[in-house]
Amino acid sequence: MSEVYDQGLWPWFVLIFFGFLPSEVWRMLSVFLARGIDESSPWLAWVRAVATALLAGVVGKLLLSPNGALATLPLWGRIGPLAVGMIAFFLIRRSLFAAIVAGEAAIIAAGYWAG
Amino acid sequence: MSGAQSLPDPAMMAEDADDLGGRSRSGWFTEGMRQAMSGPMLVVAVSLLSVGGLARDAGFSVEIAVASTILLWAGPAQVLFFGAVAAKTSWPIIALTISLSSVRFVPMVVSLLPMLRTKRTSLPTLMLAAHCIAVTVWAEGMRRIPLVPRDGRMAFFFGFSLICFVGTSISTAVGFLLIGELPRPLAAGLLFMTPIYFIATLTRNAKRPIDAWALVLGLAAAPLTEAFAPRGLDLMVLGLTAGTGAWLIQRHLDARMRA
Repeated sequence: MSEVYDQGLWPWFVLIFFGFLPSEVWRMLSVFLARGIDESSPWLAWVRAVATALLAGVVGKLLLSPNGALATLPLWGRIGPLAVGMIAFFLIRRSLFAAIVAGEAAIIAAGYWAG
Repeated sequence: MSGAQSLPDPAMMAEDADDLGGRSRSGWFTEGMRQAMSGPMLVVAVSLLSVGGLARDAGFSVEIAVASTILLWAGPAQVLFFGAVAAKTSWPIIALTISLSSVRFVPMVVSLLPMLRTKRTSLPTLMLAAHCIAVTVWAEGMRRIPLVPRDGRMAFFFGFSLICFVGTSISTAVGFLLIGELPRPLAAGLLFMTPIYFIATLTRNAKRPIDAWALVLGLAAAPLTEAFAPRGLDLMVLGLTAGTGAWLIQRHLDARMRA
């Protein structure tokens, strides 16, 4: 085993068998699931809603139990900038760019304030 | 061959003609690349910077860090993978955790592929397209692909994805080399790019009440599932309940419109 590690193959093995394949299996399965579904199918509205809610949930999790540098900020320092970004989004013609700039400015300021 | 070959029926020709909206397939491929470069690539690249740093902390090489971006193509799964390896988690548990986190691709792939394919799309093409689908590509694709004529969509999508892959591969390597050097508030700013971008994109994508409700319920449910749902399964529980809730609200609104 150790010579595999030394040859540098072990990390590749680990990445492919414990990272790539367990993840990819869902995408490939979905190719078959998507087969019978038409673009105008009413099912798709539900699937889309689940995907949207999941994504919102990913963000919620990132902010509630963050890792790395985000974890050094208190909860208000993570939720507040999100609110600032969204206020800028709605005030400035639903602009994605405005949301990102305002949100980033807020969180960097919060970082210096809290740190 | 005799010269008496019959000409094809014009009606059949019309049916076979590609619906490309006046551009070639490679024209749509380039258009996809251009649209990715106008913003989405930057965001997805920035959001992957931190993964490079995590990979280094877990003791992997820069090649493995970049390969994880191309193969896993899922920021959260990469964070889980390198975080779990660094924490010396057992391999079967790592594989299981990664797999559970990637279940969320099922609704994304199932909702995007029917927009991309034509009757002639081959299975390997569909599989390659499915591999390209991750959160950013999905959210941007749902908005941009309907604006592309049917036969140009797959080319557009691959051009768009290619630029995202190139940008993130570079940023993973840059993150591997740099992230430790950044002052903490700036590093927090980089990590915050993903949340603010996703929420703003989803809000911009919201066309009907169902979209807005899915977004709001999904965010609101995060603390609840975090506290009560089994670890690893919490996101799936969240997506199914909040998504179904939004769908029921839309059905209720539709029924009231008809009444």
